[in-house]
Amino acid sequence: MAIIELNNLIKHYDVNGLSVPAVRGVNLSIGEGEFAAIAGPSGSGKTTILNLIGGLDKPSEGQVIVEGNNLAHLSQKELSDLRLRKIGFVFQAYNLIPVLTALENVEYVLLLQGIRREDRKTRAASILREVGLEAEINRFPRELSGGQQQRVAVARAIVSEPTIVLADEPTANLDQKTGESLIELMHHLNRTKNITFLFSTHDPMVMDRAERLMHIIDGQIISDVRKHTKTPKPASSRKKR
Amino acid sequence: MNIFFHLCWRNLWRHKRRSLIVISSVAVGVFAMISAMGLLNGIMEQMVDNTINTALGHVSIQAKGFQNSLRSEYSFIPAETLYTAIGRTADSQKGYAPRIKLKGMARSSASSRPVIITGIDPTKERSVSHLAEYIIPSTGSFIERADEDTVLISKNMADALELSPGDNIIIMLQNTRGELTAAGLTIKGLFTTPVENFDRHTIFVGLEKLQALAGFGKKISEISLTLKDRNASSAMKTALMLFVQKAGLEVLTWQEMAPNLVRSIAIVDTMMYVSFFIIFITVIFSIANTLVMAIMERFREIGVMKSIGTEPRMIFFMVVFESMLLGITGLVFGIAAGYTAMKLLSIAGIDLSRYAQTLRAMGSGSIIYPSVRAFDVFMATAIVLITTICAAIIPARKAARIEPVKALSYI
Ligand SMILES: Nc1ncnc2c1ncn2[C@@H]1O[C@H](COP(=O)(O)OP(=O)(O)OP(=O)(O)O)[C@@H](O)[C@H]1O
Ligand SMILES: [Mg+2]
Repeated sequence: MAIIELNNLIKHYDVNGLSVPAVRGVNLSIGEGEFAAIAGPSGSGKTTILNLIGGLDKPSEGQVIVEGNNLAHLSQKELSDLRLRKIGFVFQAYNLIPVLTALENVEYVLLLQGIRREDRKTRAASILREVGLEAEINRFPRELSGGQQQRVAVARAIVSEPTIVLADEPTANLDQKTGESLIELMHHLNRTKNITFLFSTHDPMVMDRAERLMHIIDGQIISDVRKHTKTPKPASSRKKR
Repeated sequence: MNIFFHLCWRNLWRHKRRSLIVISSVAVGVFAMISAMGLLNGIMEQMVDNTINTALGHVSIQAKGFQNSLRSEYSFIPAETLYTAIGRTADSQKGYAPRIKLKGMARSSASSRPVIITGIDPTKERSVSHLAEYIIPSTGSFIERADEDTVLISKNMADALELSPGDNIIIMLQNTRGELTAAGLTIKGLFTTPVENFDRHTIFVGLEKLQALAGFGKKISEISLTLKDRNASSAMKTALMLFVQKAGLEVLTWQEMAPNLVRSIAIVDTMMYVSFFIIFITVIFSIANTLVMAIMERFREIGVMKSIGTEPRMIFFMVVFESMLLGITGLVFGIAAGYTAMKLLSIAGIDLSRYAQTLRAMGSGSIIYPSVRAFDVFMATAIVLITTICAAIIPARKAARIEPVKALSYI
């Protein structure tokens, strides 16, 4: 079953009265539990597509259907709620609220969901343990490395048990090794929790790890390749940090 | 709500200096407000207390129509049962005393003056007014017996009539039959009260002496009561009302007897609060400015918050709450400083003898003991909350409307 469906999606931005095309007729269907990457050069439309799927932006034409909901039919509040409960976001950098600790950043999402205090604390702490940040839970973002900050962002994205995580160039600000272990973490979460991951990248290493790779140029998908079939790795081969 | 509170509170301290400027401007404003109101309230309370202590009393039982005319036909013989009824309220009163008030003239060989001749029961009067304490010791003493041939006049009147203690003064009045009567009385002592206007007009004679002179028999004009708490006058009125009405009399509170005093307090209060509001309007701009800057700096962060599902109204509330926190922090310091300063000043009192003339005209006395009312603290709190909420509305709307897409492309 397709969890994300894009039908003839078109987006152009209005810049000083000129219409600048960013996405030019994208058709795409992503199934539940996929680990998919959108790759393409700078300015090709990756961020725009992810924003449209997350309901952060409205398409000029075409449809975005998430879990059977046509986003065009949802109110602002329903979109907020969709992002709160169904979709987790990870951005390239500066994802976290700087005045909150790692634990509080993760807890924040649960607060928005109206979850009781004790439950919030235990759930946030256990997710942070899962992403390998047990020792850092009380640190503020500025006291964490870039890779650790991204792990907190991943923890925050999955703590609400969403069905989809959208990650816009999550490794772009990280060195090779740190980026690799972040992708491994996401892949692990994808398999163990059956969360659908869709991320953008222009990092060959990340493309290599994706199970499905779509290439986009000038707002159009030019290739769409399914590479691996799912073969669960033994947990011991998983690297942390 | 814990994280939300941390979020807002820590946001305030991202720019310590900027927040401290706002907090201290609120604190200084509140301090000024509490101090000014404390001082003014001290003056007002002393005005009220002095007026009450001089001869007004907190509550007066009298015939309807007496208060404004002081005419002798409104005199009455107090029934024993009336005293019993008054006795029942003993817990909340300091004392009560019967009085006669009559219009008349006082004259010496040099001059004459219209006066209000007040007949007092010397023993009971001591429990009701401070008159005995207002006698200047070097000039003589208070009346001892209610039937003495003596009179107490103010220093002010003695000067005007060119009289000294021990001299005779002629008192003229109309008796109950409408005949003009005169009597010569010896000046037993001079008094000065803090209420200048009172000194200009009032003289005191023993109650029985005045009853005899004016042909009153056993009649009196009023029974004056003083209470332990000046704000209990209405409650006392209610307590006495039923019984007093049966006797064909009425109960007046000091607020009813001195409406001008009440009105001037209200006017001064209002004027002060209007000026505080104006001062705080400038604070609104300083807070709003700080908030707008803070939001511009957090543009991306707010975008992230919205993109992970924070509703706009929560962002709105966050900004309003941060503004309120700034205000409340300033408020707490301002109240603490203002209250402490006024408490310290009220131990020794503030000596305003330099302005003694003015203060005497106002009736407050020249040493002021500032007093902070709960009401002023409440008003300071209300003004600060209103100010900070108003200041936050526009910046908060701006923040709530930040579009995540724009904010996210902004680093
Ligand atoms: N808010 C905007 N207003 C105007 N034009 C925009 C806006 N956002 C994106 N664009 C334009 O749309 C096109 C696609 O941009 P997009 O950010 O989606 O690319 P991208 O693939 O994410 O690039 P990058 O790898 O640099 O992040 C670009 O030409 C860009 O200039
Ligand atoms: Mg991008």
